[in-house]
Amino acid sequence: MGWLDYVWLGILAVFQGPELVSFLGLSIPMTLAMVLMGFLLGILVGSTPGLAGPMAMAIALPILISIFGFSPDALLPVFGFLIGIMKGATIGGAVPAILFNTPGTPDAYMTTLDGYPMTRRGEALKALRVAHFSSATGDTFSDIVLIICAPFLAVLVERYLDLPEKTALLILSLAFIASVIGGSVGRGLISLGLGLLVAYVGTGEDFYPRLSLGTQTLAQGFPVATAVLGVLIVGEVFRSLDDMWRSGRGGRASEGQSNTARGDQRLHLADIRRLMPYVARSAVIGTVIGALPGIGSTLAATLGYTAGRARHAKTGQSPRFGEGAPEGIAATEAANSSVSGANLIPVLSLGIPGNAAAVFLILAADTIGGFNPGPSVVRFTTDAVNPELVIAFGLFTCMMFANLLNWTIGGAFMRSMGFMSRVPKHILLPVVLLLTLTSIYVQETRLEAIWFTIGFGVLGYFMRRLGISPLPFVIAFILGGNLEATARQAFAATGGDALFLFSSPVATAFMGLTVLVIVLSLRKPKEGRP
Amino acid sequence: MRLPDRGTLALGLTMLILALVIGFAWVPMDSSTGLVEKVRRQVSIGDGLAPTLAAVFIGLGGLLVAFFERRPEETPRITSGNLLFTAILLLLLALSLALMRWSGPALAGLLTEEGYRLLRDTAPWKYLGFLTGGTVLVTGLVALVERRLTLRAILIGLATVVVLIVLYDLPFDDLLLPPNGDV
Repeated sequence: MGWLDYVWLGILAVFQGPELVSFLGLSIPMTLAMVLMGFLLGILVGSTPGLAGPMAMAIALPILISIFGFSPDALLPVFGFLIGIMKGATIGGAVPAILFNTPGTPDAYMTTLDGYPMTRRGEALKALRVAHFSSATGDTFSDIVLIICAPFLAVLVERYLDLPEKTALLILSLAFIASVIGGSVGRGLISLGLGLLVAYVGTGEDFYPRLSLGTQTLAQGFPVATAVLGVLIVGEVFRSLDDMWRSGRGGRASEGQSNTARGDQRLHLADIRRLMPYVARSAVIGTVIGALPGIGSTLAATLGYTAGRARHAKTGQSPRFGEGAPEGIAATEAANSSVSGANLIPVLSLGIPGNAAAVFLILAADTIGGFNPGPSVVRFTTDAVNPELVIAFGLFTCMMFANLLNWTIGGAFMRSMGFMSRVPKHILLPVVLLLTLTSIYVQETRLEAIWFTIGFGVLGYFMRRLGISPLPFVIAFILGGNLEATARQAFAATGGDALFLFSSPVATAFMGLTVLVIVLSLRKPKEGRP
Repeated sequence: MRLPDRGTLALGLTMLILALVIGFAWVPMDSSTGLVEKVRRQVSIGDGLAPTLAAVFIGLGGLLVAFFERRPEETPRITSGNLLFTAILLLLLALSLALMRWSGPALAGLLTEEGYRLLRDTAPWKYLGFLTGGTVLVTGLVALVERRLTLRAILIGLATVVVLIVLYDLPFDDLLLPPNGDV
């Protein structure tokens, strides 16, 4: 089978997969319906300050698995829903940023700088249209790069990297993530080490489950969902509740001023022509940033905005950036949206999650089974069908369908979501907490799991208070088992060579880069990191 | 070398000590194979190596934070206010989970002869724990932030629980709401 056959099979897997309903003889595929529902939910969540795409993904996952079960048929509908949330939340974040000066997601902060002044001028609808156009363009561009690059990278990794090189590459990726996320390499390494340590509790090859303190509770290890959701979601809920508790700001939702629409609110071809250079430049910036594991969309938005501002200053056009320039919204939204597709490049080519959304896609794949994101997916077998590759192309089809939704109904739905900014955060967060704990219980069916989640939530809360990013923890926790297994195999394959990480020039280069990344990050002051 | 502020130093040194305890006490005492093991003259990686590597990362991070990252203006810390909030939060969560776990069995023990275990798949018994515990959790947190208990907070707690029951329990026979998997 050639690669075109696989592309076609991937498309068919989406369009001829499980059917939701048949209407007037027309079959509506389940996967497409799930992408649509996820996309609309994502916009709703992104438009709500205090909620984020990963939160919705975390809560939806157990419900989706209950609905679709653990069969390979479940993979595409579940992925489709999660991809829909990821994309919807990306454009939804701009809504409160523009209408109420409150970013729905952290990466939409720069959107407030020009979006809100436009709203005050009575150009809110136009600002939303600019945000939607730029976001959809950046997102689509990023997906195209993903679809082209990920399979090639994966083939290269599989063909040229042996076990020692793969181990060294995993170590390099983890060091890179620890060094670039947050404001400090030391804190990144602490987060990484804690994540690895937790991953190794109750596991190992011996009969005795290591680090279990002789207890049955720890002997099974920590369920993935408790650690990931605890540190990422519950920790964030605790931090936000503490902030509101101490500032005494409970009960107040986002307050925006009512501004009467003035002037032409449509987006004309001339506007698009003026915005395109900013969108294009930011889309490239966001895609490059997104392809590197661990660097978030906030940095992409900052860099995109800065590059756009420099260009705008040269042209001398009015209004300037920060005073309600549509180009400012375009530069920010194109950059932060183009991160989402490219973030899946390390997932599909290396098996390394680059951001929180990718973590939940890997979690879904792990839970359902039948698809192991990583270079082994991309095996173009000629004699028999490789089902994982079909799923990968099905995933790409879901992404392109989500883009189609984004271009067609996304803008109108996004513009109708302004009311979500008025939902009080101090009411929303306790609801999210109970929802998260309940979703973990229905997966694990033991109260211990809830206590683990709360424990990890407190850890995540303290980490945030100490300026330690929780993302290296989560990524290390997910990759910990893989790192150890690869190292064991590499050690055995090299005949017990203690220096197996330096057994080839490529592995040595990866290890050298690991040291270089840490040393350079130590020397370089960081700004604007998420 | 300029020393960092006390908070940063404390974080770094705590992590360093934690790493030493993990690497030299916890891992050797709580894993049955060491860093490497030899079985039938074949050397392989033992269960102790990976957690020791994790301890090395924690220790290295602590060392860097304590002695090489000297940016006092960028050093967030845990305050007594944060600890007080954590204590209140944990108390509230413990109360909610205790109610969730025990209110159903307690009521069933008082009002019926067969006990909760036989009733845990029967409405309204199966909802009792989740209803009381979940409502207290949501209402308590809303009241904590608002610094007063209002009828609105109670209604929000109740509504949340009802929506979750509708979401998780009514459509799925195989899903168990807390605490029905434990009792």
